[in-house]
Amino acid sequence: MTQLHYSFVLIFIFICAIGVNLFFRIHIAQYWRTLLATDASILFLYLIWDTWAVENGNWYFDSNQILNINIFGKLPIEEILFFILVPIMAIITYKALLKITGWQSESSQQ
Amino acid sequence: MIYSDIALDAVMVAVICDLFFTRTQMLTKGIFWLTYGLILPFQLLTNWWLTSKNIVMYSPSEIIGRRLAGAPIEDLLFGFSLILFTLTLWEFFLRRSRRN
Repeated sequence: MTQLHYSFVLIFIFICAIGVNLFFRIHIAQYWRTLLATDASILFLYLIWDTWAVENGNWYFDSNQILNINIFGKLPIEEILFFILVPIMAIITYKALLKITGWQSESSQQ
Repeated sequence: MIYSDIALDAVMVAVICDLFFTRTQMLTKGIFWLTYGLILPFQLLTNWWLTSKNIVMYSPSEIIGRRLAGAPIEDLLFGFSLILFTLTLWEFFLRRSRRN
């Protein structure tokens, strides 16, 4: 169970994202191309930073509380999943708030 | 204090990208600040979990040392840049896909 301590954060974000997506009928899967383009860009930028920071010891992880599956050298898989999930969660939140408030984004006006 | 520097740079790059490069102008929109305001408490919650249990630890020499909800204050800059960048790119790609 201890090894899942970091994963709990990911599971929490995942459940929130799925919950909001279903409850507010965001239908995020319809936008999979845009979602993929955004997510891949964020992943690229932030994993460069993260990989560099971990290699240089800016921050480090308790090996008892992570799954110990590493990608790109010392980078735990949880970090990669974090940068995949957080943008998706942010976009779903954004779309739900657009729907609730009735405000329009620039792109939806066009 | 390299984390402090890069976190500040990340915010500046995201801001410049939003205002001048993609011209999505998210920073001028209420919906962006509302979204960020809703996500922020959740960032603090996950930060608190990750740092209070020492799942993630920071090298003291790379941060200024002030902490909020257990995590270095720099994490606020990191989180802000991540949300701004994400929504900026989302609007940018969405606009492009609608034009095509």
